[in-house]
Amino acid sequence: MNSKPPLARRAFLARIGLLGAAVGAGGLLPRSALAAVPAAEGDPLSGVVGLLRPVLAELSRDTLNGLTVFVVPGKDRYSAAQGTPSDTPGALEAEGTDFLMNALDNFVPFPDQLAKPIGAALATGLADTGVELPGLDLLPVQLGTLDKALRALLENDATLPLSLPIASTLNLLATQVNPLAVNGPFLSPFARLSYAEKARVFQLLEGPDSDLVALLDVHFPEPLKHSVSGLLKFLGGALIEFATFGAYTEYAVFDERTKQLTGRPVGWQLTGYQPDGPVEGWDDFIGYYQGRTEVHD
Amino acid sequence: MRDVIIIGAGGGGPVVAKELAAKGLDVLLLEAGPRHADPREQWTSFENDANNPLSGYFRLGPEDRSRPAWFREWSQNSFVWQLSGVGGTTQHFYGNYPRAYPGVFNDYDKPDRAEYDVNHRFPFSYGEMVPYFEWVEATAPVMTAAMGAKEQTFFRGCETLGLPVQTTKTTLGPSYRPQENAVLQPGGNAGRTTDRNLLTYPQATGCTHCGYCFQGCMRPIGAPRNQFAKRSTDNSYVPMALTADAWASGGRPVELIADAYVTRIHAESRGGALTATGVTWRENESGAEHREQAKVVVMAGGCTENPRLWFNSGLPNPNDWVGRGYTDHFFDWVVGSMDDYTGNPKGVGSAARLDFPPYGGLENVGLPPALNAFATTLSDSGIRGQYTNGRGATGPWDGPAGRVIGPEFKELISGGLDRLLSVLVITDDDVEPDNRVTLSALPADENGPIPKVTFRQRNRTARTNRNREFMARKAAELLRGAGAKKVYRIDWAPLILHVQSSMRMGESERNSVLDTNAEARAVKRLFIADNSALANALGGPNPTLTTQALATRTAEKIFQRYFGGDPWVREESPVVSTDSRISTRLGELGL
Ligand SMILES: Cc1cc2nc3c(=O)[nH]c(=O)nc-3n(C[C@H](O)[C@H](O)[C@H](O)COP(=O)(O)OP(=O)(O)OC[C@H]3O[C@@H](n4cnc5c(N)ncnc54)[C@H](O)[C@@H]3O)c2cc1C
Ligand code: SF4
Repeated sequence: MNSKPPLARRAFLARIGLLGAAVGAGGLLPRSALAAVPAAEGDPLSGVVGLLRPVLAELSRDTLNGLTVFVVPGKDRYSAAQGTPSDTPGALEAEGTDFLMNALDNFVPFPDQLAKPIGAALATGLADTGVELPGLDLLPVQLGTLDKALRALLENDATLPLSLPIASTLNLLATQVNPLAVNGPFLSPFARLSYAEKARVFQLLEGPDSDLVALLDVHFPEPLKHSVSGLLKFLGGALIEFATFGAYTEYAVFDERTKQLTGRPVGWQLTGYQPDGPVEGWDDFIGYYQGRTEVHD
Repeated sequence: MRDVIIIGAGGGGPVVAKELAAKGLDVLLLEAGPRHADPREQWTSFENDANNPLSGYFRLGPEDRSRPAWFREWSQNSFVWQLSGVGGTTQHFYGNYPRAYPGVFNDYDKPDRAEYDVNHRFPFSYGEMVPYFEWVEATAPVMTAAMGAKEQTFFRGCETLGLPVQTTKTTLGPSYRPQENAVLQPGGNAGRTTDRNLLTYPQATGCTHCGYCFQGCMRPIGAPRNQFAKRSTDNSYVPMALTADAWASGGRPVELIADAYVTRIHAESRGGALTATGVTWRENESGAEHREQAKVVVMAGGCTENPRLWFNSGLPNPNDWVGRGYTDHFFDWVVGSMDDYTGNPKGVGSAARLDFPPYGGLENVGLPPALNAFATTLSDSGIRGQYTNGRGATGPWDGPAGRVIGPEFKELISGGLDRLLSVLVITDDDVEPDNRVTLSALPADENGPIPKVTFRQRNRTARTNRNREFMARKAAELLRGAGAKKVYRIDWAPLILHVQSSMRMGESERNSVLDTNAEARAVKRLFIADNSALANALGGPNPTLTTQALATRTAEKIFQRYFGGDPWVREESPVVSTDSRISTRLGELGL
């Protein structure tokens, strides 16, 4: 049962971007979906949970679009929105978001170990931290349904994709940096931030006394407590580094079957790497420094 | 009952395997990751295919790449770069084989003696180590690096610093030089053409300057495995171990089992002393468990994995030093942007260096696009121009230290990677007990509780910090001297790839796990023969040569003590790993 006042939960759902993504202007769900719990057999929430899954996936993708263009801006509208338009391709052209989601959701081998505790903390722990938000008018019953469905998903989903708690965390911090980011173009608060505001999000994530880290930490027994806050600090760096690595690799144009490239990778275009494709060698041998080919004591 | 079981076929394990196989012992070599027996089939040289730490063919994980990599916990902004697979982390190293500075051994008596990590010295003399250095240098073989454009640019910078050129193997003082590396010098067409038709063995031999060291060396095309240019152990010591009967009289080939994870070392009390008796290992694919007995067990799983296996085996830790003293050369990364061509992504990753005992050293490092971008965004100093994370040092570089990302990074690389010159700062860092491996509180994996690596990057000794600042300044001066228009200091978060000393040997039993023979003080017949056995961070030189020299010495100690044999390094001459008898036998065995 939700013991927190609905207002606080509404603020929380708005801050992680779910309220807007689900039922805000341009949201992905008709409000009627939340109006009353469908009287299905078995779990009465399952219908809403089912509807929520794709909304959360889109929300994650939108948030990570906001992240990957932060590290490699390009010609896209996300880059323009953060105030760093570019006339050369960037992370979105390089499918950096797919790289990151694929890595997080399929390969990072700790969905249960990391995603679940963070997900659970997000579901149960974080209420309003006093940030004033422009309101989204939802009736308590709709709000309650949405909230319950999210909890059901975060707490019970055996294969919770890691990208979701990560996106939620970024969005939560985004609204701390700029409360107005709960509304606007794009699905996610993080994607609505300026470049400098996004940097501020990472400053908070990396900082030794991040409020968010402290809030999440509260919910874990020792010794897991420090592991979770430590992992969040690690994530603060890793998200940037992984997104960069992905955007500069051949990910988007590598054909796994033939092990060949189907086009010129964005990273190669931007850096002038391998102008004629992969090589067996270069005519780079100049000689030996001072002509010395061996040394002895 | 085996004579010797060796855990891990990375930088250190295959050395003991090859040496003892040459003496006719029955050796089993167990490797947790895959064996890439046919690189031309299995590798591509693409960064995401190779170096993605989660799914690349070079990662820490089982052979089946659709399965997850093995998760290791490090709960700070840092990155531990270790690989599984035959060759271990040497599969993507650069083959640099400098000797440890003499100042880190216990007989050093020069005036700067007290400026080294005097509390954590090697428990024997530099002079005792030299024959083992020479043995490995001849085996690998180690050569003086050829020069490409990026090395020439680096030397141009060095020439402005007023330092001499080092022309000896031993580093006697501040100086610069081409690397002494375990890379075969270019022969025939190698290094002289880009035409792939001309780059096949034997028209081309040795290093073709392809620039793919980080993605694994499989060149020149058609060369036998033991003649690939870069001497990672899968190209040098492992082929020798597998063919020991072909090149050593009385030699006996090692049995190598890959994709096999050792989960436990067994020990029992014998005559009042705890004594190792064998291991249990799991087939990654099927999960089947095997137990094997041995007269001697050698751990060579690396600095992170050895402590984990030790703890999971319930072995004693009387002085609490298992896993402690983990050093990482507290690296930093300084990047210069040039007007001139530098050839940055071509040739061996790093073929020039500058040594500055007792502070550390510098290397030029060329990287392909994604790794270069990764390296430039891994920082403990926040994002340049946005926030400094409480650091952001200023100095002879431009602006505060920090990540170069977003529009600024795009701008930096817009002139092409080959307008950059990057310098790796290698710090002589002190052995610190709080930098360590423990068992993680996160859930175990199929092989037991997982290791957690803790680094206190902001809390190093004053000497370590002094050394790093000194060398970062030198790097900036070098880059300016080489003509850099703009110089960026990244202030790397711990990028843990030169790993050392987490199971160290030492003079004192209060702060070491191994005695002077590299035998565990607490468990007889259990030896350690990889980087974790090193007594300290060597002063800054890359660790593999010293590890392999020490492992050779350890093989002798094992042979003398438990098999009644005589040492050989001072008596015999080494066989070079490119020897044609090895190539021929590899061909016969289809390897
Ligand atoms: C990018 C990069 C560049 C480098 N360049 C250089 C260089 O130029 N020169 C240099 O000297 N050094 C270099 N290094 C460092 C070098 O790679 C290491 O010094 C060396 O590989 C360490 O050898 P090791 O045996 O200690 O560990 P590893 O090489 O990591 O080998 C350990 C092996 O043990 C296996 N293993 C672990 N646990 C188990 C278990 N329980 N059961 C079975 N098997 C197990 C692992 O799978 C692995 O294969 C570089 C490292 C990196 C990452
Ligand atoms: S540059 Fe030389 S050593 Fe490196 S991968 Fe290419 S051929 Fe091998």
